Amino acid sequence: VDTSTGDLVGAAREGDREAFGVLVERAWNRLVRLARSVIGELEAEDAVQEALVVAWGRLASLADPEHFDAWVSRIVFRRCLRVNRRRLARVPLEALPEPRHPSDPEVGLAAWQLLERLAPRQRAVLHLTVVEGMTDAEIASLLAITPASVRAHRRRARESVARMLRGGRP
Amino acid sequence: MNDERNDRISCFEDELRRWGAQAPRTPASVARVRVLVRLDQSRRPWPWLRLAAAAALLVVVAIAVWQGAPRPAGESSPHVALNAPPLDPNVVVWVVDSRTTVYFVLSPDGSARGGVS
Repeated sequence: VDTSTGDLVGAAREGDREAFGVLVERAWNRLVRLARSVIGELEAEDAVQEALVVAWGRLASLADPEHFDAWVSRIVFRRCLRVNRRRLARVPLEALPEPRHPSDPEVGLAAWQLLERLAPRQRAVLHLTVVEGMTDAEIASLLAITPASVRAHRRRARESVARMLRGGRP
Repeated sequence: MNDERNDRISCFEDELRRWGAQAPRTPASVARVRVLVRLDQSRRPWPWLRLAAAAALLVVVAIAVWQGAPRPAGESSPHVALNAPPLDPNVVVWVVDSRTTVYFVLSPDGSARGGVS
């Protein structure tokens, strides 16, 4: 029987770790895809695991159990921002490899190299729009910004990508 | 010009869609187990907390051993050395702090006499 998200969250709040495990298993792929688009392949899975541990400790603060997916995605996104800040302190943007053209035979590497040069929120908005097919309202709720900000981030991201594909700076 | 720009962006987004939709390296069932293990670990005190506690304990034990160690003849606690008169062998001095020194006077012959000053 497919238990509802709300019921699983309710059980997890009571301390049922197996119920939380089911929630983790259901959300895992989506959360890693988001993290990968914001911080890259290398650190994405670890960041998601850390975020899920944080989420377990904060389950009581989730107002509506049915909104678990958006809530945990927000925690993952914030964790990714922290990872990104740490990394920027180590590696300046100028040190990143030059982006390749998307027709590069190595699938995805070119996309990531372009994405990596955008601001983290722009990466997340592009990912949620292009990969997850979410609406502006859904993205706004997930990133805790307004739909107008979502559109602005997407527009700037596309302008930067177009500039980089012409060989310019982001 | 705009068409060319849109084509480029469209090409990039196709690539992003393919890359972004790839499954994670760790399957969800394995990730579930790993996260539950992490929940266990997060309950235990942090390693640095345990290290700090061990270090504090070590310092306390070291101080206790130093305080209790027999001193060479003529050497005594700094407070006693500075403030105390020459001591009789039957007097035990307990320096509680810099302003409090307690003298236990032992009875040499085993009688009930003696006292604390």
